[in-house]
Amino acid sequence: MSEADPQAHGIGAARWIGKRVPRKEDARLLTGRGQYTDDVTLPGTLHVAFARSQIARGNIVSIDTSAALDIPGVHAMMLAKDIARQPLTMMSFFFTPSEVPITPLADGYVQYVGDPLALVIAETRAIAEDAAALIAVEYEELEPVVTIAQAMTGEPIHPDTDSNVSVEMGDDEVPEQLAATLEGAAHLITQTVIHQRISQAPMENRAVLATREGPEELTLYITCQSPHNIARWFSTALGLPEGAIRVIAKDVGGSFGLKNTPWKEECAVVCAAMLFPRPLKWTEDRYEALTASPQAREQEIKLDVAFDDEGRLLGAHSIYDCNNGAYPQGADANIAVHMFMWPAYKMPAYSFLSRGWYTNTNGLAAYRGPWAMESLVRETLLDKAARKIGIDPIELRRRNLVYLSDQPSTSSMGIPVDDITPGECLDKLIQHFDVPAFRREQAEARQQGRYLGLGIAAYIEPTGSAGSMAPMTGELAQVRIEPTGKVTATMSTHSQGHGTATTMAQCIADRLGVRYEDVTVYEGDNTRGGFGPGAAGSRQGVIGGGAAIRASEMLADKVKTLAAHLYNASVESVSIEEGMVHVAGAPEMSRPIGELANIAYGEPHRLPPEFEAGLEVQFRYQPPPMTMTSAAHACVVEVDAETGFVKILRWIASEDCGTVINPAVVEGQVAGGLAQAIGMVLLEDMPYDARGNPTAATFKDYLLPAITDVPVFEYVHANTPSKTIGGMRGVGEGGAIIGPPTLVNAIADALSPFGEIEELVLPLTPARILDVIEQRDVSGTRAHRHGTAVEVAQMADVPAPDPTSGQVPPVDAVVLPGGVHPAQDATIAGDWNMVLKTPMGPQAMKAHFDVEGGALSGYLEAPEGRQDFSGGTWSDGNAKFNLAVEKPMKITLKYDLQLAGDAITGKCKMGMFGTAKVSGERS
Amino acid sequence: MKPAPFDYVAPRTIEEALRVLAEAGGGATVIAGGQTLMPLLNLRMSQPFILVDINGIEGFSGVTRIDGGTRIGPATRQADALQDTILARHLPAFVKALSHVGHHQTRNRGTVGGSIALGEPAAEMPATAVALGATIEIASVRGTRRVPAREFYVGPYMTVLEPDELVTGIVYPDWPESHHVLFREVAQRPGDFALVGMVGAAVVESGTVGRAGLAWFGMGPTPVAMVQLEAALVGKSLDDLDPDALAATAIADTAPFDDHHASAEYRRTVGRRTFARTLREALSLREPA
Repeated sequence: MSEADPQAHGIGAARWIGKRVPRKEDARLLTGRGQYTDDVTLPGTLHVAFARSQIARGNIVSIDTSAALDIPGVHAMMLAKDIARQPLTMMSFFFTPSEVPITPLADGYVQYVGDPLALVIAETRAIAEDAAALIAVEYEELEPVVTIAQAMTGEPIHPDTDSNVSVEMGDDEVPEQLAATLEGAAHLITQTVIHQRISQAPMENRAVLATREGPEELTLYITCQSPHNIARWFSTALGLPEGAIRVIAKDVGGSFGLKNTPWKEECAVVCAAMLFPRPLKWTEDRYEALTASPQAREQEIKLDVAFDDEGRLLGAHSIYDCNNGAYPQGADANIAVHMFMWPAYKMPAYSFLSRGWYTNTNGLAAYRGPWAMESLVRETLLDKAARKIGIDPIELRRRNLVYLSDQPSTSSMGIPVDDITPGECLDKLIQHFDVPAFRREQAEARQQGRYLGLGIAAYIEPTGSAGSMAPMTGELAQVRIEPTGKVTATMSTHSQGHGTATTMAQCIADRLGVRYEDVTVYEGDNTRGGFGPGAAGSRQGVIGGGAAIRASEMLADKVKTLAAHLYNASVESVSIEEGMVHVAGAPEMSRPIGELANIAYGEPHRLPPEFEAGLEVQFRYQPPPMTMTSAAHACVVEVDAETGFVKILRWIASEDCGTVINPAVVEGQVAGGLAQAIGMVLLEDMPYDARGNPTAATFKDYLLPAITDVPVFEYVHANTPSKTIGGMRGVGEGGAIIGPPTLVNAIADALSPFGEIEELVLPLTPARILDVIEQRDVSGTRAHRHGTAVEVAQMADVPAPDPTSGQVPPVDAVVLPGGVHPAQDATIAGDWNMVLKTPMGPQAMKAHFDVEGGALSGYLEAPEGRQDFSGGTWSDGNAKFNLAVEKPMKITLKYDLQLAGDAITGKCKMGMFGTAKVSGERS
Repeated sequence: MKPAPFDYVAPRTIEEALRVLAEAGGGATVIAGGQTLMPLLNLRMSQPFILVDINGIEGFSGVTRIDGGTRIGPATRQADALQDTILARHLPAFVKALSHVGHHQTRNRGTVGGSIALGEPAAEMPATAVALGATIEIASVRGTRRVPAREFYVGPYMTVLEPDELVTGIVYPDWPESHHVLFREVAQRPGDFALVGMVGAAVVESGTVGRAGLAWFGMGPTPVAMVQLEAALVGKSLDDLDPDALAATAIADTAPFDDHHASAEYRRTVGRRTFARTLREALSLREPA
């Protein structure tokens, strides 16, 4: 029998944490008994279809709905002005209102192909589509801004904006000392990655069934990542009390970030349902999902890294750009790319310029490991460096990785690092893979014209985040032993396929001392239990698991207290095993837990004094703000030099997700992420043509990895328990983050006899692989990217757009509305409404300034609290002051503001996070 | 993704089907297996006002031997053809190509005639018909005609079929039992349309190529017969064959295109290599000279 864990409260012989138990969900799902949103029908349900923009950018001259309304079975037609009768404020993932105007239906102008214009309500979906097809729209078409390069030079797509920059972070110039380091280094290696746009492509597309049940009562069946979070979002967006909204999502077929936040279509249906007296259902079809759902990635990065003679890291600088589309679910310069680029490595200095760009394409949403570019660019650069410097890539990593013996340490961006194990994972990986034997095999194969490659990558990942970002709170477990002795738990976790009903039941059975079969976990309905943001950022195993464990331990204590009282024994002598309550040394006293439950609920006179009747406990777990997961992977490929095809021969994952609740679930998460990684590297691509039309509109053109493209993965679990309750680390996203560089490195290693992948453009189609093998532009990628002289100039000059061009204002330029010049006699004193463009989205705050001569003092007030400052300066319309903040990490914010009439513009230097824009008006 | 409204008829005889097609005046579309048509209908890319379902027409499925060849009924399921013993014996190139059409699930429903009549330029069945010298049997209320596969295709999804015409059979001429099968397809995933594909047959007698029929798929707006190559090959001794030089000839008739899966230059480059490798393997395997 297993050793007793001093931490374990159930003290049972049977341990459920760490077991490969069958999933509780599977019998239901595999026999077609799942309940997805489209499976739900309510009496009187009508169906919704959208008429969508056929052009990428233009003003709407007129919309003629008369022919559509004539179709029998059509009940109503709603345009933006009709929907607007139910006000709704669209907000980002971080619950911040959008900086650019977004309405559920296009209002006056369209910004991307697929922008919904009109909503049709009909008896059936087919009739609704027939009607939608008859809506005639007249446009005044405008030149679309499609690519990042066009966004940099084209006119702003959104009204009242001065450029297409959605967010800008970092430094537009490399700091002097770092520049000298880069220039003087023994080796300066550059890697450029052009990451294609992809579709999240969950099996279950977006869907919503909305019904208004009374003046202030709304019920939503909606496929999502957390019913609680959706209720919170809609209650804020609609200004309804949270108790008025019930959100149900029993089964969800994948999300990957897409369904974090309801977007235009879901909002339009909800508004329509508030205005229309019947339940309304919209189920997105695959054509809509591929062409009009929010999408992901489309980023470019150029990273320069300096190494010394022995391959040690000296410094790095990157320039990152992201095509946000027209209406992203949070304007984004992806600060996390920079935050997590180097904490796993000994990198003394790093700076960056990071920008998001608005374009006339679909808005971006999150996708499994949204910051994954950091691992992709870093790990592929390290392999390139290893080849160029002439060091083994594993040795290069060992010289630079932060091992446990190097910790605690702090990254150059200020991230505290105290329990990461990327180096240990790498060492463990190498124990399972004979590298010298592979190198011999590789050399022999090359003699025969076969090109094998080995790719290795290491990484860390922030998981289980709670407490430092708007929606990310702790999670709640409410655990009960029912009068029958069966155990039920209501959890704020939510499964989109994660199997939380299984893993949470394992945690509970383990710590309570009951059989796994006797535990049932309920989730998927916000009215059933307390708030929790559910799935997002690899958090449920960590936080939900911790909550389930602690609640079960508390409940076990309650059972023991009761048993000790009833049997006149000491609490310490009571144990619970497989649902039986035992007293040490008195086997005749053993009772099924149900007998005690009966007493606890039904015989109050037998309970100990102060003992609350019943057997139920709840615990909300507030974990540390971040828990790190580490991993190292190896992949072996063979590249066919004739066709450029890649065959994956072997893939080993050595991951440290701390305590493994269920190895099969962990491996399923890793495998799923790796399958998506393989898709991103080799197959998936959502290109737009020059007019802004998405050109992969079906699965014939959008190639997802199929079972034949995904190898059987091998797993090495390197378990270093974390500091959380239960010791788990998140594992949901990792495969999609470390997978791409692992595979790219394997391909690059196979191609190394031919040359380098100089510019990594994804996906690595067979044609792009032939580009390297033949050292010519077989794929046409180079011609496409650097085709005309103008484009070449733009590409080469991404870091610093010409400040004199007037298109993209440099960060530190003061932009004055209407050409107003700062007035000498105007004063900044008084109250202001300010907006700071932070990495999490724009943050609104109130400011108060007091001026005394040249001295400036005052305070800034945000919902989180008020902070006073003094010691600032005021002269010639310019205000300078500093604010020291503690959360989410210690930084000094240096404000530099310019007054122009009743407006303030300027910047805020945020330590290593670079510079953010500030604007304000008098309140 | 719901089709625009349409009427549906399921005629039991060819005559009835042809009458409906004639009366529809171009507004009808024939449905057999529906594996391509159903998505096109759902996407509203195809909006016929009447759908003519030929699955129930008597004698429209099955494989029969005829004088000097093999005839395949147009509604023959691809999955059935794959198991057919006549085809296995007489048309191994056809069977080899068919195994690359779609997936198990789509082949259970998809038909040989549907694939032939649709004319997807990157599909296996049209190119196989072109390579092996098949003849397409066509009928309308105006009468019947027989069109060689090499004259049947005029563009992507475009054939010589008139709106009132129906494919009623495909006839493949016999190839000597000892003929060599040449087939290779380069596709991103199994079942995908080809980036580059070639199919054909060659007869070698006493070390000399006696007859050859080859075609490309995915290499132009239609399946492309390797006409120049066939002429260059026939009559040549195996000892005199230079596969790389012949590959250049084989590629001469193609007109590949750029799309986001592959460039024309990729298709040409890999097409040449595919041809040379396939020729080498096919002829040296069977004739280890």
